[in-house]
This record gives sequence, structure tokens and C-alpha cells, in this order.
Amino acid sequence: MTKRPEPISILAPESFREKLSRRSLFQIGGAAGGLALLAACGSDDEDSGSSDTAGGSSDTTADGSSATPAAGSVLAEYSNVINQAEGTIAMYTWGDYNDPEIVGPLAESTLGVSMKVDFYASNEDLIVKLEASQGTSGFDIVVPTGAYIPQMIAKGLLEKLDLSKIPNIVNVDPAYRNRDWDPDEGYSVCKNWGSTGWMWNKAVTGVDSIATWQEFIDVAMNQASGQTAVIDTAPNLAGMYFWANGIDWTTEEAADLDACEAFLVDEFAQHIKAFDSYPSTKIAEGAYTLAMAWNGDARQALVRIADAGGDPEEWAWGLGAPATEIWMDLYCIAAGAPNPDAAHAWINWLLTPEVSIQDLNYHGYNSGLNNMDALLAELVPDLVDGDMIFFSDEQVATMQTGAVNSAQERLVEILNKVKAKAAG
Amino acid sequence: MAVVRMPAGPTGSTGRRAPKWVLAGPAIFWYIAFFVMPILFILLYSLGTKNALSTSGVPVDVGSLSLQNYRDAFSDTFFKTFRATIRIAITATVLCTVIGLPVAYFLAFKVQEKWRAILLALIIVPSFTSFLIRTLAWRIPLAPNGTLSGWLQDWGVIDGPIQILETQTAVQLALVYNYLGFMILPLFVALDRIEPGLREASKDLGAGRVATFLRVTFPLAGPGIAAGVLLTFIPMCGDFVTAVVLGGADGNMVGAMIDSQFKGAQNWPLGSAMAVMMIGAVLVVLGVGAAMVFVIRKALGIRRRVVLPEVVR
Repeated sequence: MTKRPEPISILAPESFREKLSRRSLFQIGGAAGGLALLAACGSDDEDSGSSDTAGGSSDTTADGSSATPAAGSVLAEYSNVINQAEGTIAMYTWGDYNDPEIVGPLAESTLGVSMKVDFYASNEDLIVKLEASQGTSGFDIVVPTGAYIPQMIAKGLLEKLDLSKIPNIVNVDPAYRNRDWDPDEGYSVCKNWGSTGWMWNKAVTGVDSIATWQEFIDVAMNQASGQTAVIDTAPNLAGMYFWANGIDWTTEEAADLDACEAFLVDEFAQHIKAFDSYPSTKIAEGAYTLAMAWNGDARQALVRIADAGGDPEEWAWGLGAPATEIWMDLYCIAAGAPNPDAAHAWINWLLTPEVSIQDLNYHGYNSGLNNMDALLAELVPDLVDGDMIFFSDEQVATMQTGAVNSAQERLVEILNKVKAKAAG
Repeated sequence: MAVVRMPAGPTGSTGRRAPKWVLAGPAIFWYIAFFVMPILFILLYSLGTKNALSTSGVPVDVGSLSLQNYRDAFSDTFFKTFRATIRIAITATVLCTVIGLPVAYFLAFKVQEKWRAILLALIIVPSFTSFLIRTLAWRIPLAPNGTLSGWLQDWGVIDGPIQILETQTAVQLALVYNYLGFMILPLFVALDRIEPGLREASKDLGAGRVATFLRVTFPLAGPGIAAGVLLTFIPMCGDFVTAVVLGGADGNMVGAMIDSQFKGAQNWPLGSAMAVMMIGAVLVVLGVGAAMVFVIRKALGIRRRVVLPEVVR
């Protein structure tokens, strides 16, 4: 027995009853929906990728405007050339690596470019992505670690830089220019350099000091067992073992690698809670009590703990000892970049002291400019946790640069085996 | 006798019409080009070796084929993750069925027509959010330092902070949560299609509520359950997002392992071998499940059969 459909009751004047019909409702609805769609699409400035801006790059005006600093300011000793640009820049970089203002509103207002940023967590990911897309990745700026640059140049993944468009490169400390991975600076410009260490919760673990990698391993296997995070890259995990045992972490000796694998897979894997290159994101929610971390990320963790209402005093940071790494990340332009002119202009702008220091204050890594002390004294006299950004000469002397050599493949294998062993 | 000419068919000439599978042509082409071919490539890669220096964008050398990658994938450490993945997926599927069946039953038989659409919408609408966001959202209630953890500790329910994140339990929870809708809908459709007369007849003939459910409703919903199981178990096996977001080191699953082989290790042949093994494992589990169901039905059929007496003329 079928029921008659119930009449709809709406709050409307009687006169509407004649005009209101299903068809008219659909028409109004369709029109309203279409208008909403147009409004949403129309106001969207940063539309899909930089493919639209292919025409824009030819209009860049390098008017070389300079921001003239006050007389007597230390800034006057630096090159402050700012080139204008147009369009969109797509950057593929490490997580939380630039002040959001610098890649957002400040870039728009100063340079006239809008930026789109994507993230990766290891150099292998970057290389695989660029290789698989064979020049069509759509990225302009990429930020590899120095040791991986020779490989990327050999595979044709990077474009040569036009240094005439980066006049501010003179601001960079000569110690961080022309390194062995790119001796004549054809492809890369220093972004910042950093090191690796650990941070731990003193209150929960009951451990007051962790002075060496061996102590880190001990705490990870005892007090912080099952609550430890390690950095999700092959060289760092193997490096922990090598540094704790006084072996050069770029060793290619089979005996060393076998010992490393045996220890990590059979003894250490079960104590790992997560493979996390950015433990700062999870430390605030209480996920780990001990974490291997890069110095800038550890510094950000302290800020996040305070923001989440925790007590950053409970946590401590330690630089890796007796040896650790020094890594440098550099700005490069990917092969097939859609907007290379704007990319050059943006990199150039990042090398001006004010912007560079603002960025440094955000991500917590030394950006390698000349005469850093004077700059900081003037621009950021109240720098927080400076000892996590700047290291003494003795500390720097203990840092080893990495190398991508024949052991690389074995290290990645070891990492994957540790991951498989750590699961259940 | 006059010769009767057939009227002209769609092809414009007498007699032959286009074969019926022409209508499926585009779909067949699509599947072959974008499904069969990639799977064949994966099979081919799984027999090759890694070539880090390749400039073609694909770091695989298929010059000399071998089964070495399968031997590597069967090694102890990796195989443990396979077993864990299958175990997690089966558990989650069973949980989904157990939770979904009462909900679907309720919706199909106990809810009035007018409310059904709204309740179904309530079940479907959460799927409008991105899968990743739904999974990430689990980090908030499960956070060791979070509000829920604080309350549970205050009420004495647990001793320390919640330690579910970064374990297989978290992965299990999120899998059941994310795929429950895929189980409820096919079940609901199957139950809804059962003629109401059949259940009434069962009641008239004297079967109680439980007996009616076990012997009439449940078997008739069989195809729906099968569809629901397929729709949940197969995606769960390959699930990668949940393992990465919530699993940590403990909750590693095959999907994440294959990803790290393809991306991190650039070892496409080993990753392909694992992918092929996963397809095989899923087929094996489904085959075993189907065989079990077949055997059970045969056994029950023999027990419950009605033997009609011989008609004596």
C-alpha cells in the first residue's frame, strides 16, 4: 500500500505557491551553486603550480633596488641588492625550514612572487622525485644536502646558477662557499649548516646528562626503551653506531658495516619507537622521551613544548660527542624549473642579512653569513637558545662532513632492515 | 516461398551486428593500458636488479632476470611484516563485520523509511573528509599528553599516559574506523533486498528470532558480506597512510615497506617483488576464506537437507 507523498511546508508567503515549483528551485539552486563556484575559483591567486607563469619570467625587471641601511649600522657592510620578480615559485624543501612569513607575505610584498612549498624528509626522497619526473617536476628551488649534490649534478637534476643574478652571494662567509661538492659554485648557494645531537626528558627518564653517543645508546636501550625516536635517514642511524665506536662514519669497510648491521638490527631495533626526522612535531604531545634530532629541530621542539603548556626546562639538548656530523643544505635550482629568474631573485633576497637572520631565528640553523656575531648583536640581541645554533670552534672541530659513497646502498639496506625488525 | 530480407541493422548492412563486447571496449582498453600493463611491468621489474646509475628515470636493469628479489623478500625480517600486515587486516575485517552487521541489520529492519536516508547519510558523510585528515585526527585523542589521557589518568582508569600511538593497536583502531563505512553499506544493501516475506514466513513456521537470523537472514546476506569483506580486506592490506601516520616503528605494514623500497632505497626490483608477493598473499587469503565458506556451506547443507520421500505410484 503506497502512501501519498507528504506536502512540503515552507515558510513563505502565499503568493509564492504559484511561482515555486521543482523546476524553479533547481534553477535557482544551480545558479547559486555556479556563482559560488565562480567566486571561489576567481579569488584563488595561487592556482595550480608554476606552469601558468611560463610567460611571466621574461618580464622580470632587475631594477636592482637596494634597501639602504642606516649609517653606522653593520648592515651597511653587506650587499643588499633586491631584484624584483614575477609569478610563482615552487620550492621543494625540508619541513619547517623557512619562516612562513618569508615564503609568504614578505616574499609577495618585497619581491612580488607568490610561493608554493612542498616537503620531503630525506635526500633520497628528493632525488627519487626529481629523477622520476625527468625535469617535469614543476619545482624551481630544491634544497639538497651538500654530500648529495655531486650525484645530482651527474644525473642532470640541477640547473647551473647564473651568479650575476645573485650579487648578494658576497655576504656568505667564504668558509661555506666553494666546498668540495660544488667547487666552482655552479649549482648551489649555502642555505645553512647544522649538526646532529639528541634531546631527552630529564624528568621522565631520570637521566641528568647524556654526554656521548654511547650514553645515548645506553639510555635508549634502558630508561627510554620503547620511547625513543631516531632520525629517518640511513647515514644518521648508522652514524650513531659509528660515532659511539670511534669509527669514521663514512667508512666503506665491510667489517664495519657488518658490525653496524648486526648491532642495529639484532640489539637496537626493538627499542625504537619511531623513525622520525622531525621529532619536534611529536615531542610536545608526549610521544617520545628521547630523540635523536638536528639542532634546529630540537630548538623548535622547546618552543612547541612551551606552546603546548609543557615545561621546556624538563628537556635538555646535547650535541653529538665525541664526534658528530656537519651537514650543509644548499639552495639549488632544479632542472626544468618553470620560473628560474624568480628563483634566482628569491635566493638572492634570502642572502640579505636581515632576511637571513629572520629565517635563522625561525629555523635555528646557522645561515653562514660573514661576521655573524656583529649581525646578531644588532638584529637579534635577545636570541633564545643561541647555544643550539652556534657552536664553539672546539665543537666544530669534532664535526665530520658526510659523503655519499659505495657504502650508501648498504646503509639504506640496513635502515630498511632495522625498520622491518622494529615492527612488532 | 519468398525470400525474406532482414531489415538493415545498426551497421547499415544486412545481417551482422557489431559484437556485444564492443560496448565494453573503452573499459577493456582502459584496464589493459592502466592496470594490466603496469602490473606486467611490476612483474618484470621484480625479476630485474637495481641499477642506480640508470639515466632513463627507471633504476632497474632487466638484462639478466632472476628470482633473487623474491628470496630477499622472503627473508625473516621482511616476512614478519607481511605476516603482521595480514594479521592486522584480517583482525580489522572481522571487527568491521562484527560491528557493521548489527548496524546494517538495525538500519535495514528496525528503522522507519523516513529516517533511513538520514542515518545512512550520517554514516557516509565522514568519508567526505580526506582520508589523511581522518587518520591524523586520531593523534589528538590518543596523545600521551593530551586531554583524554589526562582525564583517564585522573579517574584512575590507567596508570600512566596513553601509550597506544606508534603501536599496532593504533593502526588497528584507525583501520576499523576508516573502513567501517565500506562494510556497513554492502551489508545494508544485501539485508534490505531480502524479501520481507521470507522472514515472516520463517516466523510463521515457528522459528524463533535467533533461528530466523541464523538460517534465513544471515545466509541470504551472504553476497553482501562477501562484498563487504572484499571491500575492506583488500585495501587494508595495502594501506600505507595509517601505518605511516599512526604506526611508528611497531606498526609497520607492507605498504609502507614497499614505499620505502621504491623511494628511500631506490630499490624498485625489491619493492616490486614485495608488491607481487602482497598480491599473491591477498589472493591466497581470499582463496582460503572462500574455500572455508564453501566447506562450511556444504557441511551445513548436508546436515540440514530435506530428503523428500519417494513418491510411490
